[in-house]
Amino acid sequence: MAVVIAILAVALIAGLFGSMLGVGGGVIMVPMLSLAFGVPIKTAIATSIVCVIATSSMAQTTFVSRGMTNIRLGMLLEVATSIGAVAGGVTAVLVDGRVLQYAFAVVLVYVVWQMNRGGGDVAPAETGVLEASYYDPAARREVRYGVRRTRLGFILSFGAGNVSGLLGVGGGAFKVPIMNLLMAVPLKATIATSNLMIGVTAATGAAIFYGRGYMDPYWAVPAALGILAGARIGPRLAMYLPARVLSIIFQVVLAGFAVMMVVQATGVRL
Amino acid sequence: MDPVERMIHVVLLAGIAVSVALMAAGLALGLLKGGGIPRGVVPLAELPRAAWGLSPAAFLSLGLIVLIATPFVRVAGSLIAFAREGDRRYVVLTGVVLAVMCVSVLLGRI
Repeated sequence: MAVVIAILAVALIAGLFGSMLGVGGGVIMVPMLSLAFGVPIKTAIATSIVCVIATSSMAQTTFVSRGMTNIRLGMLLEVATSIGAVAGGVTAVLVDGRVLQYAFAVVLVYVVWQMNRGGGDVAPAETGVLEASYYDPAARREVRYGVRRTRLGFILSFGAGNVSGLLGVGGGAFKVPIMNLLMAVPLKATIATSNLMIGVTAATGAAIFYGRGYMDPYWAVPAALGILAGARIGPRLAMYLPARVLSIIFQVVLAGFAVMMVVQATGVRL
Repeated sequence: MDPVERMIHVVLLAGIAVSVALMAAGLALGLLKGGGIPRGVVPLAELPRAAWGLSPAAFLSLGLIVLIATPFVRVAGSLIAFAREGDRRYVVLTGVVLAVMCVSVLLGRI
């Protein structure tokens, strides 16, 4: 019973921070489940996939209704990401999981460094490509933006999807920097769009994991319920906090992810 | 909000609510029948019988399935919205995404 409550509590926090930052919480849940609770890695990944879907679906009920999600951009990049995620199963046979985790950690550190240099958020670009706008309650104004480097973003999204499929994460930790730093999408729109995308990416893995019998309600159900509660609150924080603050929290969380990746790589066999 | 988007919004909220209700029912059944939360989900083929028999695992499994279905609904809904707007490019792109998602479901049954 204590275990169930612990999972619920951690999932609530993961759901809150995840939905606030455009990630799915998988990078917290997988190491926590496998290291702290000794859950077999495939079951941990299956649970994490459910968590990512829960984060995405719940948060989108807020983000889409407030017009923050750029659905077109999300769908465009998801063509690459979802194919990458399905292809991840092939890569799993070829690549040592631990090498991947170390590589992931290095990339995360690089991303933190780049976001730090940015100083808060990118200036919206008038490119005429996939133009959209949203109202930012913290800045108290309408933000209109276009998208840059669509082709490069598309290619990198395939890689992000591939890694996500392997590690059982939604890939938000990659999607946010790809859209925000590379494609010049303002951070709040990036968070909302990434949040939409991670649900799609995770759904491509969920059916496979369910069919293979890796899902365990003992872990997945408390985790899902906790996430749903947290992801009700997270998007509101994303809307009302200044982008600068979100960026800093995101950097801290990514740095934490990098540490967790290294810890998991040294402690667990994939 | 565009009327199609509003409809998607309602469907998704309903889907989450149904998922939570099923999971709560499963947990309650588990408590009533003793034995705590079951380990292992019920395979698709066995679900109808297990649900009829008020198996906690069946309700928990159904709750998870409904939750997993929500991104599929989200993408299918967007496809309909793009079709209504006459945006052919995004009907195709969204169709590809939906197709990849469905392929993954098939891969799960192999």
